[in-house]
Amino acid sequence: MAFLQIENVSKIFGSVEAVKDFNLDIEKGELVSFLGPSGCGKTTTLRMVAGFETPSSGRIIMNGEDITQMPPNKREVGMVFQSYALFPNMTVAGNIGFGLKVMKKTPQEIRQRVEEMLALINMPEYGDRYPYQLSGGQQQRVALARALALRPDVLLLDEPLSALDAKIRVSLRAEIRAIQRKLGITAIYVTHDQEEALSLSDRVVVMNAGRMEQVGSPFEIYNFPKTAFVANFVGTLNTATVEVEDPAGGLLRMDNLILKSAENLQEKKKGDKVLMSIRPERLSFASELKKDNVLDCTIENITFLGSVVRIQVRLGNSLFYMDTFNNPFLELPKLGDKSQVTCSKEAVLVLNH
Amino acid sequence: MKKVNIWAWIILLIGIVYFFLPLVATLEFSMRMIKGRYTFEAYRVAFTDPKFFLNFGYSVLWALLTIFFSTVLVVPTAYWVHWKLPKARPFVEFVTLMPFVVPAVVLTFGLIRLYGRPPILLLGSPILLIAGYIVLSLPYMFRAVDTGLRAIDVRTLTEAALSLGAGWVTILTQVIFPNLRVAILSGVFLTFAIVMGEFTFASLLAWPAFGPYMEEIGSMRAYTPQALSVVSFLLTWASIGLLQWIGRGRGQEQVAGAH
Repeated sequence: MAFLQIENVSKIFGSVEAVKDFNLDIEKGELVSFLGPSGCGKTTTLRMVAGFETPSSGRIIMNGEDITQMPPNKREVGMVFQSYALFPNMTVAGNIGFGLKVMKKTPQEIRQRVEEMLALINMPEYGDRYPYQLSGGQQQRVALARALALRPDVLLLDEPLSALDAKIRVSLRAEIRAIQRKLGITAIYVTHDQEEALSLSDRVVVMNAGRMEQVGSPFEIYNFPKTAFVANFVGTLNTATVEVEDPAGGLLRMDNLILKSAENLQEKKKGDKVLMSIRPERLSFASELKKDNVLDCTIENITFLGSVVRIQVRLGNSLFYMDTFNNPFLELPKLGDKSQVTCSKEAVLVLNH
Repeated sequence: MKKVNIWAWIILLIGIVYFFLPLVATLEFSMRMIKGRYTFEAYRVAFTDPKFFLNFGYSVLWALLTIFFSTVLVVPTAYWVHWKLPKARPFVEFVTLMPFVVPAVVLTFGLIRLYGRPPILLLGSPILLIAGYIVLSLPYMFRAVDTGLRAIDVRTLTEAALSLGAGWVTILTQVIFPNLRVAILSGVFLTFAIVMGEFTFASLLAWPAFGPYMEEIGSMRAYTPQALSVVSFLLTWASIGLLQWIGRGRGQEQVAGAH
């Protein structure tokens, strides 16, 4: 039995169904992120696990106990907020020790645990500081220590890095993941940043309009998106509506081009319209190595992104992106040049609408 | 540029004269009790009157009681409105503005009519007086606390405390009250100043207080009441000064303004 079970949970606010039939089992020690655009229900789901919202229907079971109706201050849950939410009137040590004080632990016990937590977040010297004397990244680390001080069963993180600048965001997310692994704590991480979700989760739940679109490892989510929404939301994607040319042979027609796909098209008929997608990094110039598909194209635009060069090509009537790794000896084509691009048949995905 | 500066100064000057001239005149008059000399004789007379201390003491007592009950009433209410019922805020704000809409005389007569006869008889106890003062203090108290609550993220702080296992009493006393310290104090000092100078309630409900005493003295003597008004002004300023001084401390906090 899974450690945290979310069963058929829905949440209705007035006439809006914020979360629809959410089902998820989370194993002990697993870090699962909820990924989706704002208003997709990810935060509402998290808040139901925390106890700040009550599900309209369904059950939440933690460690074998039904906690659906349990008030938040009785749950063994630690929470980290986007806005840090440190108590401004207390020192760092006071903040970290707050929950322990509520639990009526002895002063000695509190001091010891606070020191342990300060060491965990690499801020041993900061116990006497006040929150306003800390940077955003430091405040969020203190908030993390505060949430972990009570050794909760589950750690909930609600967009914890959204208020920080890019550099700190990357280093802190690695730190959060390291701490989570070290303590072996079960965690749910809510984010709208796909890179964040892919880089630190064991599993990602992609959500849209209150519904779960896909659940899977970051690898699966990125490489084998099941729906058009997931494909578009996670990473950059080329999509085009194409016609089925030959269901048995896996052939698709895009304008005057024929593409070979590894997808099973047996249930389709010739002439059916389907949504086809190819990741930009799966395309390459045919001059180097020819794969299953070799397609004529025109160079439309070239964007230099540092480690990657993104080239926009016209295939038939559609514009596709193609990513190629940068190197100082790269010979870039000129705008308007005729060329050929290639990709394997596995790169040509057919998405469910 | 220079022209604008001159005008700004002129306007400021007019404001200062408008505000301070009556005060200076009062002060000057209060010091002329003995002909031909400036003395503090009027103040000596005022302060040696035992009735002064009695009435002043009563007013301080009423003020402290009002402050206590008003704080206990307003802080949890404003907090709850911020946390659970943000939609009710305009309504609550409207209710607190009552004393600006309903004159004190009307309010007092209403209280006397309602509680002066069975089934509820409250005329003999100071409850009516304190209740009336609480109503008078509402606009200042509520707005001060409301401003303070806006400055902190009530909802997230409450949720953070809840997720750490805290109950409502702990959250109010250890998280909300300390972070509203300056805001509450600003409401407290304003309430103090208002109650100390209040006349209508105390007079109509026949309780001893500083306001009616001043009025009584004013109808009998010439110089002492002027001295007393100067004293009462100083008292108000001392309250405001104290408030500024307490609010100065930590850089992040701001003095919640009276409107």
